[in-house]
Amino acid sequence: MKALQIAVKDTLTRFRDWKALAGMFAAPLIISAMIGLAFGDLGGDETPIENIPVVLVNLDAGELGQAYEDVLTSPDLADLIALETMQDPQAAKARIEAGELRAVIVIPAGFSETVIPDSQGNSGQANVELYTDPTAEISPVIVRSIVERITAAINSTLLAGQVAGQQAAGYAPLLGPAMGQLGAAIGAELQSGNLNLQESLLDLEVVSTGETGESFDPFAFFIPGMAVFFLMFSMFEGSRSILQEERHWTLQRLMSTPTPTWEIILGKMGGTFLTGLLQFTILMLSSTYLFGVSWGTSILGLAILVVLTVFAASGLGAMLTAFSRNENQAGVVGSAVSLVFGALGGSFFPTDGLTGIINIASKLTVNRWAMDGFLALTVNRGGLADIQTSILVLAVIGSVTFVLATLAFQKRFVK
Amino acid sequence: MSNPILQAQNLHKRYEKVHAVQGISFDIQQGEIFSLLGPNGAGKTTTISMLSCLLSATEGDAVIDGHSVGTQADAVKRVIGVVPQEIALYPDLTARENLMFWGKMYSLSGAHLKQRVAETLEIAGLSDRANEKVETYSGGMKRRINIAVGLLHEPKVLFMDEPTVGIDPQSRRRILDTVLELNQRGLTVLYTTHYMEEAAELSRRIGIVDHGKLIALGTQDELTKLVGERDTVRIGISSVNDTDALLAALTKLSGVDHAALEEDELVLQATNANAHLSQIIGAIGAAGGQVKSIKVAEPNLEAVFLHLTGRALRD
Repeated sequence: MKALQIAVKDTLTRFRDWKALAGMFAAPLIISAMIGLAFGDLGGDETPIENIPVVLVNLDAGELGQAYEDVLTSPDLADLIALETMQDPQAAKARIEAGELRAVIVIPAGFSETVIPDSQGNSGQANVELYTDPTAEISPVIVRSIVERITAAINSTLLAGQVAGQQAAGYAPLLGPAMGQLGAAIGAELQSGNLNLQESLLDLEVVSTGETGESFDPFAFFIPGMAVFFLMFSMFEGSRSILQEERHWTLQRLMSTPTPTWEIILGKMGGTFLTGLLQFTILMLSSTYLFGVSWGTSILGLAILVVLTVFAASGLGAMLTAFSRNENQAGVVGSAVSLVFGALGGSFFPTDGLTGIINIASKLTVNRWAMDGFLALTVNRGGLADIQTSILVLAVIGSVTFVLATLAFQKRFVK
Repeated sequence: MSNPILQAQNLHKRYEKVHAVQGISFDIQQGEIFSLLGPNGAGKTTTISMLSCLLSATEGDAVIDGHSVGTQADAVKRVIGVVPQEIALYPDLTARENLMFWGKMYSLSGAHLKQRVAETLEIAGLSDRANEKVETYSGGMKRRINIAVGLLHEPKVLFMDEPTVGIDPQSRRRILDTVLELNQRGLTVLYTTHYMEEAAELSRRIGIVDHGKLIALGTQDELTKLVGERDTVRIGISSVNDTDALLAALTKLSGVDHAALEEDELVLQATNANAHLSQIIGAIGAAGGQVKSIKVAEPNLEAVFLHLTGRALRD
């Protein structure tokens, strides 16, 4: 009960601090608004993206070039991109400069022959070239994303060397019929080469690129991104308040009252958690009102995700503070971690394209799991089932960091 | 003198490189104001921190109202009030909000809490400004709310650690009057200070602390008898060529027992000082010094400290 009193006191104190309020609310909303302006309509309605003018220059005579062409001309993408085919790359690029096109995709001659392993298992490297309109903001990103996903699917298939025709055919509803045929072709090719076949690396999420008729709402990405980013800042700042209380002797005075130390620590961490919860909730409500952001259709999923995101962020903040030498160090570490986590974790840009160690590092951040969850709800209109991994990971991060922080604070303050 | 509410027994606090408190023992009688007098860094705050259960004693124990500080901290915390040297308040909250919060930490609630908040605001003389944020208060007002927090749960013993540091004389006077008034109502007070006048005014019994040790303990009369009939002479000087030679010359004078230099002031202890002033001034002149001021004080606590340590209390 006293822990709750401490938590409420901390929250009240935090909400009376104008500088803190600016960091918690004004900054994320203003930055999101600026980004939203840069992306176009701020009227609140989603900005429709359709019929992006794109030219495919397919100089490859093999299956892979045909696969790119088939996917790009598939009915799934018909509304999203308006594809033309040309044979002259220079002429196509000239049309970008003329403002007629947003992107040109060039499949070089001999692409399939170079990339697909021969009977000895040897293969080469070739690049798909993508030229985009530098004056456009969103459409090049979308086209690049589509091309990257087709390329990634092919790469995965080639590297794993395992997709049999039947398996690939099984993915057809997700990948689209063109990719299904591609899988069958590659599977047959590889099997004839007596390669050691392993499991498929095809990423089924890739298929979602093929969904069309979607409209792009920049706020649906940037508002959660900024909200999580600034949440991390305020959670680190909030956690630091326990060291400020030690400096001002209010912590010692608390410990001179008949209140158990663990309850004081719980109250302090609870105050940070409560502040974060209010911060995120207010940001969600204000973004809905100001920018018309839709936070999805799963109220339960959203509530659980918000609670666990704040839980993980405040737990991490408490842990870093508990292990910091002093208040200043906690401040520096907190700011640095917030920035790095924001950059790696997808608060500023999508993490879909991350690979290798960067992708692993990204998955070590609270932001990444929170953003995966929020985007599943806001952009993909998913439900509770789609954010299970996110909420599980966030719950684990929060639990572990809270326990470690409590133990460290207990050791630090009981002298 | 047979009803001690607090008994500190051989308290020690050792840190890695510092032995901050070295075997301090004393009793405080119920209804008494007991002062611990000593310079900064003497170990007063460490002692109070151990008695408040904020620090565990490396050795020794204390019993407060029948409860061991070492093993019954929760019971001890219910009978003590703590007024730290720092202003341990939340500046963003009003005085009333601060008191309400701290009252809840002492398990007060409901109408009783509101009543105690009103009463302590009255004691602090800040009822009319109770709804203003503490950050808008003067230093003296903050000190008074700092004391009020320690009184909320009607403790049996109040620990006050240097409660007048850094405030104006008027606020200081008010705080001293408050302490006396609370004591008249029956509150036992442990008061630490480095101001000799405060200890002398508030307490009948005083413990003098230096370098973590209790170097003297007794009533004011008992303590001043330690220095006999010696007066303390403070002489403001300038232009002395060789201070060591001057101090040596002064201690050789008849009736002068101690001589020390504090910045530009000589501090001497002398029997019947007025009779020896001409000799003292002559010695200063011989050393090339000029006398700027002279003050002679009869035996007091400062003289006791000087007598016991060879240093002035303000060092």
